[in-house]
Amino acid sequence: MAEFHPKTFAFFCNWCTYTGADLAGTSRMLYPADFRVIKVPCTGRIDFEFIVKAFEQGADGVWISGCHIGDCHYNSGNYYAQRRWAIFRQELGFLGIDLRRLKFSWISAAEGRKFAVEAKEFVERITELGPYTEFHSIIPKTREAEAVTGGGN
Amino acid sequence: MVRIGVFICHCGKNIARTVDCAKVAEAASQWPGVEYAVDYKYMCSDPGQNLIKDAIKQHNLTGIVISACSPKMHEATFRKAAKSAGINPFLCECANIREHCSWVHDNMDVATPKAIDIIHMMVEKVRYNHPLDPIKVPVTKRALVVGGGISGIQAALDIADGGCEVIMVERAPSIGGHMSQLSETFPTLDCSQCILTPKMTAVKQHPNIKLMTYSEVDEVRGFVGNFTVKIRRKARYVIENMCIGCADCIAACVFKKPKFPDEFNEGLGLRKPVYIPFPQAVPQVACIDPNTCLQLTTGKCKMTCAAACPKECIDFKMVDTFEEVQVGAIILATGYKLFDPKRIPNYGYGKFDNVYTSLEIERMVSASGPTEGQVLLKNGQNPKSVAIIHCVGSRDTKTNAWCSKVCCMYSLKLAHLIKHSTGAEIFNFYIDIRTPGKSYEEFYDKVLEDNVNFIRGRAAKVVDWDLQPLEDGKLVVHAEDTLMGRRRRIPVDMVILSVGMEPQSDAGKLSHIANCSVSSEGWFLERHPKLAPVHTMTDGVYIAGACQGPKDIPECVAQASATAAQALILFSSDELTREPTIAKVDEMNCIGCFLCEKVCPFSAIEHHEIKDRNGNVIRVVSRVNEGLCQGCGPCAAICPSNCISIAGITEEQVYAQIGAV
Amino acid sequence: MNINDKSPAGEVATMAEVSEVVKKLRERAKELLASGAVKMIIGYGDGYSKGKTVPIFITKPEDADRLIFDARCQNSLSMYLKTAEIKAKGKIGIVVKGCDARAINVLLLENQVKRENLHILGMVCEGVGDPTQDKCGWCMANTPPVYDDLFGEPIPNKGWNEETFAEVLKLEAMSPAELWKFWTEQFDKCIKCYACRQACPICTCTRCITDKNQPQWVPTSPHSEGNYHWNLTRAFHLAGRCVGCNACHNACPMDIPLKLINWKLIKVVYDDYNFIAGMDSATLPPMETYKVGEETDFIK
Repeated sequence: MAEFHPKTFAFFCNWCTYTGADLAGTSRMLYPADFRVIKVPCTGRIDFEFIVKAFEQGADGVWISGCHIGDCHYNSGNYYAQRRWAIFRQELGFLGIDLRRLKFSWISAAEGRKFAVEAKEFVERITELGPYTEFHSIIPKTREAEAVTGGGN
Repeated sequence: MVRIGVFICHCGKNIARTVDCAKVAEAASQWPGVEYAVDYKYMCSDPGQNLIKDAIKQHNLTGIVISACSPKMHEATFRKAAKSAGINPFLCECANIREHCSWVHDNMDVATPKAIDIIHMMVEKVRYNHPLDPIKVPVTKRALVVGGGISGIQAALDIADGGCEVIMVERAPSIGGHMSQLSETFPTLDCSQCILTPKMTAVKQHPNIKLMTYSEVDEVRGFVGNFTVKIRRKARYVIENMCIGCADCIAACVFKKPKFPDEFNEGLGLRKPVYIPFPQAVPQVACIDPNTCLQLTTGKCKMTCAAACPKECIDFKMVDTFEEVQVGAIILATGYKLFDPKRIPNYGYGKFDNVYTSLEIERMVSASGPTEGQVLLKNGQNPKSVAIIHCVGSRDTKTNAWCSKVCCMYSLKLAHLIKHSTGAEIFNFYIDIRTPGKSYEEFYDKVLEDNVNFIRGRAAKVVDWDLQPLEDGKLVVHAEDTLMGRRRRIPVDMVILSVGMEPQSDAGKLSHIANCSVSSEGWFLERHPKLAPVHTMTDGVYIAGACQGPKDIPECVAQASATAAQALILFSSDELTREPTIAKVDEMNCIGCFLCEKVCPFSAIEHHEIKDRNGNVIRVVSRVNEGLCQGCGPCAAICPSNCISIAGITEEQVYAQIGAV
Repeated sequence: MNINDKSPAGEVATMAEVSEVVKKLRERAKELLASGAVKMIIGYGDGYSKGKTVPIFITKPEDADRLIFDARCQNSLSMYLKTAEIKAKGKIGIVVKGCDARAINVLLLENQVKRENLHILGMVCEGVGDPTQDKCGWCMANTPPVYDDLFGEPIPNKGWNEETFAEVLKLEAMSPAELWKFWTEQFDKCIKCYACRQACPICTCTRCITDKNQPQWVPTSPHSEGNYHWNLTRAFHLAGRCVGCNACHNACPMDIPLKLINWKLIKVVYDDYNFIAGMDSATLPPMETYKVGEETDFIK
């Protein structure tokens, strides 16, 4: 069997973590490749539906990261995000979601090193957990046909 | 029909070393909707950009994905190229395959499929990109300065000298603020009045400045470049533009002698109900105090003042009036208030005659003050010994935790001035002496040479009972001298409390009116503590001086000039261009719960009434003010029916990106 | 629904049979309707079958004698306040228990109803249902927190006790795998009838997120994924807003224990933010505000 590469999504805020990831790149820090980044203006923008949808698209893990508390580009966006995740996470746990598959972090634009370390930790953790078969089991088998393949404008 | 172009940059070898760009282009060309996919050595170079422009024209592209470095690097470059090729710049997206891919992986088998995914996500996103046009808002090139202290004065003069109009609102009858009350300023000891008065006069005389004293800001509506401000002009009972400041009314007042505490002299002097606050007041216009004037309190006065006025400008029927002004920027420079030492009863302020606040002593040592520069005890004698207690209402968890920053220096200054005018023995009770500032430490050294005593320790209390003959009739300051490790009792004639700075008690109210915030202590909150110290969270509203936190005069002036520069930057063009990536409400489905309003950091959510044909309100929905919105998105995330979208990162765009992998 | 429908209860109980409290309620209702102070009163009337009540919408003073109030009045009438028909009426009266009044507080906070358009007839309530519903055993509003007229002598609230979260705690003790099994089995019963949404006094959106199809966040088919997603979303949208009236739970035809998720979230917002929804109409729920400097331990 081929080596398992998890499918994961990462939602990063534009001002801190996305830029921190850029810095990790500029500094040529190597880290595992198994996550796909979606850039949002602020962690406050991340609707909990994004996370649920990621799992429904077969994600094995989701990572959310933004500015440290007090450093939000919009002053308070991450405060709202923090409360949202604090509550949402507990609901997910209660409904049987494996919380180890959800990662939250604050990584500033200057923390390229921290970014690389956290990226490695995330990918290794999810790889070790293996495919999220529990959640995958409720995804309809017809998903591929339903999946977004075109449309738009 | 979507026609997407994908452009894959090699970035020399930077990307091509770990990403097989030709293979990526080949993969991209297979995706539905992708009309054209190509790889090239340097997309950001002129030939690279021309390649993009030509492809847009030739293939009639409706969206392009530039797969290259981070969008932070060249998004603007490529969007400009897209625009010059005739498509809307917001139809161009950047897929970050350098910083997020080729530079962080060393294996082509890993980096190539990852690059394909990254680009695929952007291709799916760009399908849902809509042309966006920059939001243009007009700018009213006029500033409102709230507060007429040194900060407000400096900001107003700078803006006015920059060629723009200024409206200055001051709630007291004269501008000048706390600085006008000071005697001499540290560390150079130049007379405060002498350096301030010319600036006050300049405000009055400047053709670009409209001065509104005895007035307050009641309401602020609108947004950056377009504020409407309602100003309350309090009844002065003297017609301001007619009064010539001759003071005949004051002489003629039925109160033959001044009877009421004089605010300018901190109550050490007296004034009549009709008064001019101080000799250098700007404007030189009398004012009638409604709380003490006989006519205004009882209606039974002979009104000798009105009879004496040569210009007949006293009007007892005057009422508060309101004026609405249009401004583009607002500068808040409302200053501070002094800590009330009665909150620390141990020090006996208000109980013992010869316990004074530092500002009272400032008035005493001022040549124009109530004692004409003499430091006097209540009995009219010079003190032979004086205690100066530092940090009263500062650095104290029971009152205010912060350091008021100026007290050390003004205490040293007062010590120096009193020493030189009376020769008294002076004791400073301090926790630390803090003198960071140009020539401040040198001033401290000079005061040390004056044989002024320094006792390191917070004074515990001031009492008037004596234990030894030496203490007879004196005030005794109790303190622990932490350098000697002993408790001390120092008998003195006079105690000066170096009171700290506090936020104005109504700062919260003003912050609410002006739509910015205050910290939990009550100081106005800057947008960023380091990089945006004079901005607030609301564009177009700036803060200067001690309303943001304790500051000395040079800092206030520097900050005031900074706000003036911000206002002038704003006024440098006729229109403001704002990023169009902002929130938009689907008003059809909005139920008007206004959860969005609660989480908006910029107060950009407005209540919009939907009316029927007869003008009856049928629904109230939320609407985004394009001038205020910054596009951050907590509103979109909290909206339970998901009817707010953020242009540039709409739900469709996020959904498409998730679906692409 | 035609809100002008008469109650199907044929007979009006005679005055002799009704309690003092109900007499007072009827009198007051009569006054309000006769004076024109309200256009309509929403209250409880006798139902078709014994032991059941129906909502009645009375507009004439003489109909006030159809009003009843007793332990059968289980359902929340507050949920009618979200309907366009009622909103169009202008000022109305409404009979509420404490839990319904708490829901009104939430509606007031979220601008879904105007206080001046409501005349709240608050009933002191010691518990409803036969047997009495479990939630009544730890009621936080035996005396309604908001009313214009109060009927019955005010009594102290029973308040939360060790029973309140007993079932939630039982589930919390389970492993994620066990919880996953438990909930997916429960949710598999869901037929996507949305009775939970319709019964909820606080689900006020006119276009529910599940009905939004551009994009379609919540899969609409009643398969495992769609069911899981819907139930997850429904509960989270109520986090910090749910007053624990259990209307959704009682409405579910498939007996999914919806109340457990709601009470879990009630517990979370109380434990973490000391917040109880609907106790007043001014305090912002935790997700709509924040405290400067606050941090959590799960985000590093």
